[in-house]
Amino acid sequence: MRPDPGPDTSVAIPEPGAAVLPAYVLRVPTGPYRALNPLTKFVIAIASAVVAFGVRGWTGPLSILVVTAAIALIAGVSRSLRRFVLATIPIVASILLVNAFLYPGATDVLFRVGPFAATGTGVTVALQAVLRVIAFALSVAVFSLTTATDDFLADLERRGTGRRLTFVIGSAIRTIPTMGSRAIEIVEAQRARGLDTEGSIRRRLRGIVPLAGPMVFGSLGEVEERTIALEARAFSAPVRRTAMRALPDSSTQRALRWVVGLGSLVLVAVSVAGRFPLP
Amino acid sequence: MAWLSRQFSTRVIVLIPIAIAINIVLGYTVQTILKLPIYLDSIGTILVGVLAGPIAGALTGILSNLIWQYAPGIGGGTIGPFAITAGVIGLLAGIWGQLAVYKSRPASGRQLILAAIAAAVIVIVVVIPIINNPAYTDPNNGYPSWVYTAAAVIAVVVAVVVVGFIYIRRDLAGLWVAVAGVVTGIIAAFVSAPISAIAFGGVTGGGTDLLVAALRQGGSDVLHASLGQGLFSDPIDKTITSFVVFMILSGLSGRLLARFPLGERLVRDRAA
Repeated sequence: MRPDPGPDTSVAIPEPGAAVLPAYVLRVPTGPYRALNPLTKFVIAIASAVVAFGVRGWTGPLSILVVTAAIALIAGVSRSLRRFVLATIPIVASILLVNAFLYPGATDVLFRVGPFAATGTGVTVALQAVLRVIAFALSVAVFSLTTATDDFLADLERRGTGRRLTFVIGSAIRTIPTMGSRAIEIVEAQRARGLDTEGSIRRRLRGIVPLAGPMVFGSLGEVEERTIALEARAFSAPVRRTAMRALPDSSTQRALRWVVGLGSLVLVAVSVAGRFPLP
Repeated sequence: MAWLSRQFSTRVIVLIPIAIAINIVLGYTVQTILKLPIYLDSIGTILVGVLAGPIAGALTGILSNLIWQYAPGIGGGTIGPFAITAGVIGLLAGIWGQLAVYKSRPASGRQLILAAIAAAVIVIVVVIPIINNPAYTDPNNGYPSWVYTAAAVIAVVVAVVVVGFIYIRRDLAGLWVAVAGVVTGIIAAFVSAPISAIAFGGVTGGGTDLLVAALRQGGSDVLHASLGQGLFSDPIDKTITSFVVFMILSGLSGRLLARFPLGERLVRDRAA
Protein backbone atom coordinates (compact mmCIF):
# COMPACT_ATOMS: atom_id res chain seq x y z
CA MET A 1 0.00 0.00 0.00
CA ARG A 2 1.25 3.45 -0.86
CA PRO A 3 1.41 6.05 1.89
CA ASP A 4 -1.20 8.79 2.10
CA PRO A 5 -0.22 11.24 -0.64
CA GLY A 6 -1.14 14.31 1.42
CA PRO A 7 -2.36 17.58 -0.01
CA ASP A 8 0.94 18.85 -1.51
CA THR A 9 1.92 15.74 -3.49
CA SER A 10 2.46 16.81 -7.09
CA VAL A 11 1.75 14.40 -9.89
CA ALA A 12 2.24 16.92 -12.67
CA ILE A 13 5.72 15.68 -13.69
CA PRO A 14 6.17 12.13 -12.47
CA GLU A 15 9.66 10.74 -12.01
CA PRO A 16 10.47 8.18 -14.70
CA GLY A 17 9.42 4.79 -13.38
CA ALA A 18 7.73 6.30 -10.33
CA ALA A 19 4.24 5.12 -9.44
CA VAL A 20 1.82 7.62 -10.93
CA LEU A 21 -1.34 8.18 -8.93
CA PRO A 22 -4.39 8.38 -11.16
CA ALA A 23 -6.01 11.80 -11.36
CA TYR A 24 -9.11 10.81 -9.43
CA VAL A 25 -7.05 9.99 -6.37
CA LEU A 26 -6.06 13.60 -5.91
CA ARG A 27 -9.06 15.32 -7.44
CA VAL A 28 -10.89 17.23 -4.74
CA PRO A 29 -14.25 18.84 -5.55
CA THR A 30 -14.16 22.62 -5.59
CA GLY A 31 -16.70 25.41 -5.82
CA PRO A 32 -19.41 26.62 -3.51
CA TYR A 33 -21.42 23.82 -1.85
CA ARG A 34 -19.70 21.13 -3.97
CA ALA A 35 -16.59 21.47 -1.82
CA LEU A 36 -18.49 20.44 1.31
CA ASN A 37 -17.76 16.99 2.64
CA PRO A 38 -19.99 14.38 0.92
CA LEU A 39 -21.43 13.29 4.27
CA THR A 40 -22.50 16.88 5.04
CA LYS A 41 -24.36 17.07 1.72
CA PHE A 42 -25.88 13.65 2.35
CA VAL A 43 -27.13 14.65 5.82
CA ILE A 44 -28.64 17.84 4.34
CA ALA A 45 -30.46 15.81 1.63
CA ILE A 46 -31.81 13.25 4.11
CA ALA A 47 -32.88 15.97 6.59
CA SER A 48 -34.66 17.82 3.76
CA ALA A 49 -36.56 14.67 2.78
CA VAL A 50 -37.50 14.00 6.42
CA VAL A 51 -38.82 17.53 6.91
CA ALA A 52 -40.62 17.62 3.53
CA PHE A 53 -42.54 14.43 4.39
CA GLY A 54 -42.71 14.70 8.17
CA VAL A 55 -43.81 18.30 8.73
CA ARG A 56 -47.37 18.51 7.45
CA GLY A 57 -49.25 21.43 5.97
CA TRP A 58 -47.55 24.09 3.89
CA THR A 59 -44.60 24.78 6.21
CA GLY A 60 -42.50 21.66 5.64
CA PRO A 61 -42.60 21.33 1.84
CA LEU A 62 -42.41 25.08 1.16
CA SER A 63 -39.43 25.74 3.44
CA ILE A 64 -37.54 22.76 2.01
CA LEU A 65 -38.31 23.91 -1.53
CA VAL A 66 -36.88 27.36 -0.71
CA VAL A 67 -33.77 25.90 0.99
CA THR A 68 -33.15 23.42 -1.85
CA ALA A 69 -33.61 26.08 -4.53
CA ALA A 70 -31.15 28.34 -2.69
CA ILE A 71 -28.58 25.53 -2.45
CA ALA A 72 -29.06 24.70 -6.14
CA LEU A 73 -28.44 28.35 -7.08
CA ILE A 74 -25.32 28.56 -4.90
CA ALA A 75 -23.96 25.28 -6.27
CA GLY A 76 -24.82 26.33 -9.85
CA VAL A 77 -26.87 23.23 -10.66
CA SER A 78 -30.29 24.91 -10.99
CA ARG A 79 -30.22 24.38 -14.77
CA SER A 80 -29.72 20.62 -14.50
CA LEU A 81 -32.56 20.39 -12.00
CA ARG A 82 -35.04 20.93 -14.82
CA ARG A 83 -35.10 17.27 -15.92
CA PHE A 84 -35.65 16.15 -12.33
CA VAL A 85 -38.68 18.45 -12.15
CA LEU A 86 -39.88 17.09 -15.52
CA ALA A 87 -39.58 13.53 -14.18
CA THR A 88 -42.21 14.30 -11.53
CA ILE A 89 -44.84 15.40 -14.10
CA PRO A 90 -46.81 12.08 -14.22
CA ILE A 91 -47.21 11.88 -10.47
CA VAL A 92 -47.87 15.60 -10.12
CA ALA A 93 -50.67 15.40 -12.71
CA SER A 94 -52.09 12.32 -11.02
CA ILE A 95 -51.98 13.88 -7.54
CA LEU A 96 -53.69 17.05 -8.77
CA LEU A 97 -56.47 15.27 -10.69
CA VAL A 98 -57.28 12.53 -8.21
CA ASN A 99 -57.19 14.72 -5.11
CA ALA A 100 -58.76 17.89 -6.47
CA PHE A 101 -61.76 16.07 -7.93
CA LEU A 102 -62.06 12.97 -5.77
CA TYR A 103 -61.07 13.99 -2.26
CA PRO A 104 -63.09 11.81 0.14
CA GLY A 105 -65.59 13.69 2.27
CA ALA A 106 -64.82 17.17 0.91
CA THR A 107 -67.93 19.30 0.25
CA ASP A 108 -66.56 22.84 -0.41
CA VAL A 109 -67.08 22.77 -4.18
CA LEU A 110 -65.00 25.25 -6.20
CA PHE A 111 -66.20 24.39 -9.71
CA ARG A 112 -67.64 21.46 -11.66
CA VAL A 113 -66.42 19.58 -14.73
CA GLY A 114 -69.17 17.26 -15.89
CA PRO A 115 -70.05 14.91 -13.03
CA PHE A 116 -66.87 15.78 -11.09
CA ALA A 117 -66.57 18.64 -8.61
CA ALA A 118 -63.26 20.19 -7.57
CA THR A 119 -63.21 20.87 -3.84
CA GLY A 120 -61.19 23.43 -1.89
CA THR A 121 -60.00 20.80 0.59
CA GLY A 122 -58.95 18.53 -2.28
CA VAL A 123 -57.02 21.27 -4.07
CA THR A 124 -55.23 22.23 -0.83
CA VAL A 125 -54.24 18.63 -0.13
CA ALA A 126 -53.17 18.14 -3.76
CA LEU A 127 -50.99 21.25 -3.83
CA GLN A 128 -49.32 20.31 -0.55
CA ALA A 129 -48.63 16.79 -1.82
CA VAL A 130 -47.22 18.19 -5.09
CA LEU A 131 -44.88 20.56 -3.21
CA ARG A 132 -43.78 17.66 -1.00
CA VAL A 133 -43.00 15.43 -3.99
CA ILE A 134 -41.05 18.16 -5.79
CA ALA A 135 -39.17 19.22 -2.63
CA PHE A 136 -38.19 15.60 -1.98
CA ALA A 137 -37.16 14.88 -5.58
CA LEU A 138 -35.07 18.06 -5.74
CA SER A 139 -33.28 17.51 -2.43
CA VAL A 140 -32.11 14.10 -3.65
CA ALA A 141 -31.30 15.56 -7.08
CA VAL A 142 -29.11 18.32 -5.60
CA PHE A 143 -27.13 15.70 -3.67
CA SER A 144 -26.73 13.53 -6.75
CA LEU A 145 -25.66 16.52 -8.92
CA THR A 146 -23.12 17.98 -6.47
CA THR A 147 -21.52 14.77 -5.23
CA ALA A 148 -19.50 12.20 -7.16
CA THR A 149 -20.45 8.65 -6.13
CA ASP A 150 -16.75 7.75 -5.74
CA ASP A 151 -16.22 10.64 -3.33
CA PHE A 152 -19.20 9.70 -1.20
CA LEU A 153 -18.24 6.03 -1.01
CA ALA A 154 -14.55 6.77 -0.37
CA ASP A 155 -15.52 9.09 2.46
CA LEU A 156 -17.93 6.55 3.95
CA GLU A 157 -15.27 3.86 3.86
CA ARG A 158 -12.71 6.16 5.50
CA ARG A 159 -15.25 6.72 8.31
CA GLY A 160 -15.46 2.99 8.91
CA THR A 161 -18.41 1.82 6.80
CA GLY A 162 -17.91 -1.81 5.83
CA ARG A 163 -16.16 -2.44 2.52
CA ARG A 164 -18.91 -4.87 1.55
CA LEU A 165 -21.62 -2.21 1.78
CA THR A 166 -19.63 0.41 -0.14
CA PHE A 167 -18.79 -2.20 -2.79
CA VAL A 168 -22.46 -3.14 -3.17
CA ILE A 169 -23.58 0.49 -3.61
CA GLY A 170 -20.73 1.51 -5.91
CA SER A 171 -20.94 -1.62 -8.02
CA ALA A 172 -24.73 -1.31 -8.36
CA ILE A 173 -24.49 2.29 -9.58
CA ARG A 174 -21.81 1.32 -12.11
CA THR A 175 -23.74 -1.76 -13.27
CA ILE A 176 -27.00 0.09 -14.08
CA PRO A 177 -25.79 1.80 -17.32
CA THR A 178 -24.14 -1.44 -18.52
CA MET A 179 -27.31 -3.37 -17.80
CA GLY A 180 -29.38 -0.64 -19.46
CA SER A 181 -27.49 -0.90 -22.73
CA ARG A 182 -27.73 -4.69 -22.52
CA ALA A 183 -31.51 -4.40 -22.11
CA ILE A 184 -31.74 -2.20 -25.21
CA GLU A 185 -29.64 -4.72 -27.20
CA ILE A 186 -31.87 -7.57 -26.06
CA VAL A 187 -35.11 -5.73 -26.89
CA GLU A 188 -33.79 -4.88 -30.37
CA ALA A 189 -32.52 -8.40 -30.97
CA GLN A 190 -35.87 -9.88 -29.93
CA ARG A 191 -37.77 -7.35 -32.04
CA ALA A 192 -35.72 -8.45 -35.01
CA ARG A 193 -36.95 -11.99 -34.21
CA GLY A 194 -40.56 -10.82 -34.13
CA LEU A 195 -41.10 -9.80 -30.48
CA ASP A 196 -44.17 -7.61 -30.31
CA THR A 197 -43.71 -4.56 -28.07
CA GLU A 198 -46.67 -2.61 -29.41
CA GLY A 199 -49.53 -5.13 -29.64
CA SER A 200 -52.20 -6.09 -27.13
CA ILE A 201 -51.44 -6.55 -23.43
CA ARG A 202 -51.48 -10.33 -23.85
CA ARG A 203 -48.85 -10.17 -26.62
CA ARG A 204 -46.71 -7.72 -24.66
CA LEU A 205 -46.92 -9.94 -21.55
CA ARG A 206 -45.38 -12.71 -23.64
CA GLY A 207 -42.41 -10.41 -24.17
CA ILE A 208 -41.37 -10.59 -20.51
CA VAL A 209 -39.57 -13.92 -20.69
CA PRO A 210 -37.59 -13.23 -23.92
CA LEU A 211 -36.50 -9.97 -22.28
CA ALA A 212 -35.86 -11.03 -18.69
CA GLY A 213 -34.33 -14.40 -19.57
CA PRO A 214 -31.23 -13.33 -21.53
CA MET A 215 -30.72 -10.32 -19.25
CA VAL A 216 -30.79 -12.30 -16.02
CA PHE A 217 -28.89 -15.36 -17.29
CA GLY A 218 -26.26 -13.17 -18.96
CA SER A 219 -25.58 -11.17 -15.84
CA LEU A 220 -25.72 -14.13 -13.47
CA GLY A 221 -22.98 -15.67 -15.57
CA GLU A 222 -20.72 -12.82 -14.49
CA VAL A 223 -21.19 -13.53 -10.78
CA GLU A 224 -18.71 -16.41 -10.81
CA GLU A 225 -15.96 -14.46 -12.62
CA ARG A 226 -16.36 -11.40 -10.43
CA THR A 227 -16.30 -13.49 -7.26
CA ILE A 228 -13.04 -15.11 -8.28
CA ALA A 229 -11.58 -11.74 -9.29
CA LEU A 230 -12.48 -10.19 -5.92
CA GLU A 231 -11.21 -13.12 -3.91
CA ALA A 232 -7.93 -12.99 -5.85
CA ARG A 233 -7.62 -9.37 -4.69
CA ALA A 234 -8.11 -10.15 -0.98
CA PHE A 235 -11.67 -8.85 -0.83
CA SER A 236 -12.52 -10.83 2.30
CA ALA A 237 -9.19 -10.17 4.04
CA PRO A 238 -9.85 -9.27 7.70
CA VAL A 239 -7.98 -5.95 7.53
CA ARG A 240 -9.02 -2.41 6.62
CA ARG A 241 -8.04 -0.89 3.31
CA THR A 242 -5.74 2.12 3.32
CA ALA A 243 -7.70 5.25 2.49
CA MET A 244 -5.99 6.85 -0.52
CA ARG A 245 -8.15 9.94 -0.50
CA ALA A 246 -8.96 12.15 2.42
CA LEU A 247 -11.76 14.54 1.51
CA PRO A 248 -11.69 17.83 3.39
CA ASP A 249 -13.87 18.02 6.47
CA SER A 250 -14.02 20.52 9.35
CA SER A 251 -15.38 20.79 12.86
CA THR A 252 -17.87 23.40 11.60
CA GLN A 253 -19.23 20.86 9.13
CA ARG A 254 -19.40 18.19 11.82
CA ALA A 255 -21.42 20.57 14.02
CA LEU A 256 -23.63 21.49 11.04
CA ARG A 257 -24.36 17.81 10.38
CA TRP A 258 -25.49 17.22 13.96
CA VAL A 259 -27.60 20.40 14.05
CA VAL A 260 -29.29 19.72 10.69
CA GLY A 261 -29.78 16.02 11.35
CA LEU A 262 -31.14 16.27 14.89
CA GLY A 263 -32.97 19.52 14.07
CA SER A 264 -34.99 17.82 11.31
CA LEU A 265 -35.99 15.00 13.66
CA VAL A 266 -37.04 17.48 16.38
CA LEU A 267 -39.09 19.46 13.83
CA VAL A 268 -40.92 16.33 12.72
CA ALA A 269 -41.49 15.21 16.34
CA VAL A 270 -42.97 18.63 17.18
CA SER A 271 -45.14 18.51 14.07
CA VAL A 272 -46.38 14.96 14.71
CA ALA A 273 -47.06 15.85 18.38
CA GLY A 274 -49.72 18.22 17.10
CA ARG A 275 -47.98 21.57 16.67
CA PHE A 276 -49.30 21.64 13.08
CA PRO A 277 -52.65 19.95 12.44
CA LEU A 278 -52.50 17.02 9.99
CA PRO A 279 -54.24 17.63 6.66
CA MET B 1 -24.06 -13.85 13.90
CA ALA B 2 -22.99 -16.92 11.95
CA TRP B 3 -26.51 -16.96 10.48
CA LEU B 4 -26.05 -13.35 9.40
CA SER B 5 -22.53 -13.56 7.98
CA ARG B 6 -23.43 -16.75 6.10
CA GLN B 7 -25.90 -14.64 4.09
CA PHE B 8 -23.12 -12.31 2.97
CA SER B 9 -20.50 -14.52 1.35
CA THR B 10 -18.39 -12.85 -1.35
CA ARG B 11 -20.56 -14.54 -3.98
CA VAL B 12 -23.68 -12.91 -2.49
CA ILE B 13 -21.91 -9.54 -2.24
CA VAL B 14 -21.24 -9.80 -5.99
CA LEU B 15 -24.81 -10.92 -6.72
CA ILE B 16 -26.53 -8.05 -4.84
CA PRO B 17 -25.38 -5.16 -7.12
CA ILE B 18 -26.34 -7.21 -10.19
CA ALA B 19 -29.73 -7.91 -8.63
CA ILE B 20 -30.21 -4.21 -7.90
CA ALA B 21 -29.39 -3.34 -11.51
CA ILE B 22 -31.80 -6.06 -12.73
CA ASN B 23 -34.57 -4.60 -10.55
CA ILE B 24 -34.08 -1.07 -11.81
CA VAL B 25 -33.42 -1.78 -15.49
CA LEU B 26 -36.07 -4.49 -15.87
CA GLY B 27 -38.64 -2.47 -13.92
CA TYR B 28 -37.94 0.54 -16.12
CA THR B 29 -38.01 -1.48 -19.35
CA VAL B 30 -41.22 -3.36 -18.53
CA GLN B 31 -43.00 -0.18 -17.46
CA THR B 32 -41.84 2.04 -20.32
CA ILE B 33 -40.79 -0.14 -23.29
CA LEU B 34 -43.29 -3.00 -22.95
CA LYS B 35 -45.72 -0.49 -21.38
CA LEU B 36 -47.32 -3.07 -19.10
CA PRO B 37 -49.48 -2.05 -16.12
CA ILE B 38 -47.32 -4.04 -13.68
CA TYR B 39 -44.08 -3.14 -11.89
CA LEU B 40 -41.85 -6.23 -12.19
CA ASP B 41 -39.17 -4.41 -10.22
CA SER B 42 -38.52 -7.05 -7.58
CA ILE B 43 -37.10 -10.01 -9.56
CA GLY B 44 -33.57 -9.28 -8.28
CA THR B 45 -34.78 -8.79 -4.71
CA ILE B 46 -36.64 -12.10 -4.63
CA LEU B 47 -33.72 -13.85 -6.35
CA VAL B 48 -31.26 -12.69 -3.67
CA GLY B 49 -33.72 -13.48 -0.85
CA VAL B 50 -34.25 -17.02 -2.14
CA LEU B 51 -30.54 -17.68 -2.80
CA ALA B 52 -29.03 -15.97 0.25
CA GLY B 53 -31.58 -15.32 3.01
CA PRO B 54 -33.95 -12.73 4.51
CA ILE B 55 -31.48 -10.02 5.53
CA ALA B 56 -29.62 -10.10 2.21
CA GLY B 57 -32.98 -9.94 0.41
CA ALA B 58 -34.18 -7.01 2.50
CA LEU B 59 -30.93 -5.11 1.91
CA THR B 60 -31.24 -5.66 -1.86
CA GLY B 61 -34.80 -4.32 -1.86
CA ILE B 62 -34.05 -1.25 0.24
CA LEU B 63 -30.91 -0.32 -1.72
CA SER B 64 -32.69 -0.86 -5.06
CA ASN B 65 -35.29 1.79 -4.34
CA LEU B 66 -32.86 4.25 -2.74
CA ILE B 67 -30.42 3.96 -5.67
CA TRP B 68 -33.28 4.19 -8.18
CA GLN B 69 -34.37 7.46 -6.58
CA TYR B 70 -30.79 8.73 -6.65
CA ALA B 71 -29.91 7.67 -10.20
CA PRO B 72 -30.66 10.51 -12.64
CA GLY B 73 -32.14 9.99 -16.10
CA ILE B 74 -34.35 6.93 -15.49
CA GLY B 75 -37.27 8.54 -13.74
CA GLY B 76 -37.40 7.47 -10.12
CA GLY B 77 -39.48 10.51 -9.15
CA THR B 78 -41.19 8.85 -6.19
CA ILE B 79 -39.71 5.38 -5.83
CA GLY B 80 -37.51 6.14 -2.79
CA PRO B 81 -40.05 6.00 0.05
CA PHE B 82 -41.21 2.58 -1.17
CA ALA B 83 -37.83 1.19 -0.07
CA ILE B 84 -39.68 -0.03 3.03
CA THR B 85 -42.01 -2.17 0.90
CA ALA B 86 -39.10 -3.50 -1.14
CA GLY B 87 -37.27 -4.43 2.08
CA VAL B 88 -40.29 -6.38 3.32
CA ILE B 89 -40.53 -8.19 -0.03
CA GLY B 90 -36.85 -9.22 0.22
CA LEU B 91 -37.34 -10.37 3.81
CA LEU B 92 -40.31 -12.54 2.81
CA ALA B 93 -38.37 -13.97 -0.15
CA GLY B 94 -35.62 -15.01 2.28
CA ILE B 95 -38.19 -16.82 4.41
CA TRP B 96 -39.58 -18.59 1.31
CA GLY B 97 -36.01 -19.55 0.42
CA GLN B 98 -35.41 -21.08 3.85
CA LEU B 99 -38.67 -22.99 3.55
CA ALA B 100 -37.45 -24.34 0.17
CA VAL B 101 -40.55 -22.99 -1.60
CA TYR B 102 -38.78 -22.62 -4.96
CA LYS B 103 -37.40 -26.17 -5.03
CA SER B 104 -38.56 -28.20 -8.00
CA ARG B 105 -40.88 -31.05 -6.93
CA PRO B 106 -41.66 -33.31 -9.88
CA ALA B 107 -44.83 -35.34 -9.51
CA SER B 108 -47.31 -37.31 -11.60
CA GLY B 109 -50.73 -38.92 -11.55
CA ARG B 110 -53.06 -38.37 -8.64
CA GLN B 111 -50.59 -36.24 -6.69
CA LEU B 112 -50.46 -33.80 -9.57
CA ILE B 113 -54.23 -33.55 -9.88
CA LEU B 114 -54.61 -33.01 -6.12
CA ALA B 115 -51.99 -30.23 -6.20
CA ALA B 116 -53.71 -28.55 -9.12
CA ILE B 117 -57.05 -28.61 -7.28
CA ALA B 118 -55.40 -27.37 -4.09
CA ALA B 119 -53.78 -24.50 -6.03
CA ALA B 120 -57.11 -23.44 -7.52
CA VAL B 121 -58.79 -23.62 -4.10
CA ILE B 122 -56.01 -21.61 -2.43
CA VAL B 123 -56.18 -18.88 -5.08
CA ILE B 124 -59.96 -18.60 -4.64
CA VAL B 125 -59.71 -18.69 -0.81
CA VAL B 126 -57.06 -15.96 -0.88
CA VAL B 127 -59.04 -13.78 -3.29
CA ILE B 128 -62.45 -13.95 -1.56
CA PRO B 129 -61.37 -12.08 1.61
CA ILE B 130 -59.78 -9.43 -0.62
CA ILE B 131 -63.06 -8.81 -2.39
CA ASN B 132 -64.88 -8.74 0.97
CA ASN B 133 -62.12 -6.65 2.55
CA PRO B 134 -63.17 -3.48 4.42
CA ALA B 135 -61.08 -1.61 1.84
CA TYR B 136 -63.66 -2.58 -0.75
CA THR B 137 -66.82 -2.32 1.35
CA ASP B 138 -68.20 1.11 1.09
CA PRO B 139 -70.70 2.86 3.32
CA ASN B 140 -72.26 5.11 0.68
CA ASN B 141 -72.85 4.02 -2.88
CA GLY B 142 -70.93 0.82 -3.40
CA TYR B 143 -68.09 0.53 -5.90
CA PRO B 144 -68.73 0.37 -9.62
CA SER B 145 -69.57 -3.26 -10.35
CA TRP B 146 -66.66 -3.59 -12.81
CA VAL B 147 -64.28 -3.52 -9.84
CA TYR B 148 -65.78 -6.76 -8.50
CA THR B 149 -66.09 -8.31 -11.96
CA ALA B 150 -62.49 -7.50 -12.79
CA ALA B 151 -61.28 -8.95 -9.48
CA ALA B 152 -63.21 -12.16 -10.12
CA VAL B 153 -61.96 -12.43 -13.71
CA ILE B 154 -58.35 -11.89 -12.65
CA ALA B 155 -58.68 -14.49 -9.87
CA VAL B 156 -59.99 -17.04 -12.35
CA VAL B 157 -57.21 -16.26 -14.84
CA VAL B 158 -54.55 -16.62 -12.10
CA ALA B 159 -56.08 -19.91 -10.95
CA VAL B 160 -56.13 -21.27 -14.51
CA VAL B 161 -52.54 -20.19 -15.18
CA VAL B 162 -51.29 -21.74 -11.94
CA VAL B 163 -53.12 -25.00 -12.56
CA GLY B 164 -51.85 -25.03 -16.15
CA PHE B 165 -48.30 -24.42 -14.96
CA ILE B 166 -48.44 -27.28 -12.45
CA TYR B 167 -49.97 -29.60 -15.02
CA ILE B 168 -47.76 -28.84 -18.01
CA ARG B 169 -44.49 -28.78 -16.09
CA ARG B 170 -45.55 -31.70 -13.88
CA ASP B 171 -44.11 -29.85 -10.91
CA LEU B 172 -45.79 -29.34 -7.53
CA ALA B 173 -43.55 -26.33 -6.88
CA GLY B 174 -45.97 -24.22 -8.93
CA LEU B 175 -48.45 -24.46 -6.06
CA TRP B 176 -46.01 -23.12 -3.47
CA VAL B 177 -44.58 -20.52 -5.83
CA ALA B 178 -48.08 -19.14 -6.45
CA VAL B 179 -48.89 -19.06 -2.72
CA ALA B 180 -45.59 -17.29 -1.99
CA GLY B 181 -46.32 -14.71 -4.69
CA VAL B 182 -49.88 -13.98 -3.58
CA VAL B 183 -48.97 -13.73 0.13
CA THR B 184 -46.01 -11.46 -0.67
CA GLY B 185 -48.29 -9.28 -2.79
CA ILE B 186 -50.94 -8.90 -0.08
CA ILE B 187 -48.35 -7.98 2.57
CA ALA B 188 -46.67 -5.56 0.12
CA ALA B 189 -50.04 -3.86 -0.47
CA PHE B 190 -50.58 -3.32 3.26
CA VAL B 191 -47.08 -1.86 3.63
CA SER B 192 -47.35 0.37 0.52
CA ALA B 193 -50.76 1.91 1.14
CA PRO B 194 -49.81 4.11 4.14
CA ILE B 195 -46.61 5.22 2.36
CA SER B 196 -48.52 6.25 -0.74
CA ALA B 197 -51.28 7.90 1.33
CA ILE B 198 -48.92 9.89 3.59
CA ALA B 199 -46.25 10.82 1.06
CA PHE B 200 -48.06 11.19 -2.25
CA GLY B 201 -51.74 11.85 -1.51
CA GLY B 202 -52.57 8.24 -2.30
CA VAL B 203 -51.37 7.98 -5.91
CA THR B 204 -48.17 6.77 -7.59
CA GLY B 205 -48.24 8.42 -11.02
CA GLY B 206 -48.75 5.13 -12.88
CA GLY B 207 -51.69 3.58 -14.70
CA THR B 208 -52.90 2.04 -11.41
CA ASP B 209 -54.05 5.51 -10.31
CA LEU B 210 -57.19 4.97 -12.40
CA LEU B 211 -58.15 2.30 -9.89
CA VAL B 212 -57.51 4.69 -6.99
CA ALA B 213 -59.79 7.22 -8.68
CA ALA B 214 -62.54 4.61 -9.17
CA LEU B 215 -62.36 3.52 -5.53
CA ARG B 216 -62.56 7.13 -4.34
CA GLN B 217 -65.47 7.79 -6.63
CA GLY B 218 -67.17 4.91 -4.80
CA GLY B 219 -66.64 6.70 -1.48
CA SER B 220 -63.42 5.20 -0.11
CA ASP B 221 -61.04 7.38 1.93
CA VAL B 222 -57.44 8.12 0.90
CA LEU B 223 -55.81 5.19 2.74
CA HIS B 224 -58.44 2.63 1.80
CA ALA B 225 -58.46 3.65 -1.86
CA SER B 226 -54.69 3.08 -1.98
CA LEU B 227 -55.01 -0.18 -0.11
CA GLY B 228 -57.76 -1.30 -2.45
CA GLN B 229 -55.56 -0.53 -5.45
CA GLY B 230 -52.58 -2.33 -3.86
CA LEU B 231 -54.62 -5.43 -3.01
CA PHE B 232 -55.61 -5.46 -6.66
CA SER B 233 -52.22 -4.94 -8.36
CA ASP B 234 -49.62 -6.32 -5.96
CA PRO B 235 -50.72 -9.97 -5.70
CA ILE B 236 -50.83 -10.15 -9.53
CA ASP B 237 -47.44 -8.48 -9.89
CA LYS B 238 -45.76 -10.57 -7.20
CA THR B 239 -47.25 -13.83 -8.50
CA ILE B 240 -45.87 -13.11 -11.98
CA THR B 241 -42.51 -12.13 -10.44
CA SER B 242 -42.54 -15.27 -8.32
CA PHE B 243 -43.03 -17.47 -11.40
CA VAL B 244 -40.37 -15.59 -13.37
CA VAL B 245 -37.90 -16.17 -10.51
CA PHE B 246 -38.87 -19.85 -10.37
CA MET B 247 -38.25 -20.24 -14.10
CA ILE B 248 -34.90 -18.44 -13.80
CA LEU B 249 -33.87 -20.70 -10.92
CA SER B 250 -34.89 -23.85 -12.77
CA GLY B 251 -32.83 -22.65 -15.74
CA LEU B 252 -29.64 -22.32 -13.68
CA SER B 253 -27.37 -25.31 -13.15
CA GLY B 254 -27.46 -27.06 -9.79
CA ARG B 255 -23.68 -26.61 -9.62
CA LEU B 256 -24.10 -22.82 -9.68
CA LEU B 257 -27.08 -22.75 -7.30
CA ALA B 258 -25.40 -24.94 -4.69
CA ARG B 259 -22.67 -22.35 -4.20
CA PHE B 260 -25.09 -19.83 -2.68
CA PRO B 261 -25.94 -19.94 1.05
CA LEU B 262 -29.45 -21.38 0.54
CA GLY B 263 -28.53 -23.21 -2.66
CA GLU B 264 -28.91 -26.69 -1.23
CA ARG B 265 -32.59 -25.93 -0.61
CA LEU B 266 -33.09 -25.29 -4.34
CA VAL B 267 -31.29 -28.23 -5.88
CA ARG B 268 -33.48 -31.17 -6.72
CA ASP B 269 -32.84 -34.33 -4.69
CA ARG B 270 -30.81 -36.86 -6.63
CA ALA B 271 -33.20 -39.64 -5.67
CA ALA B 272 -36.20 -37.90 -7.19
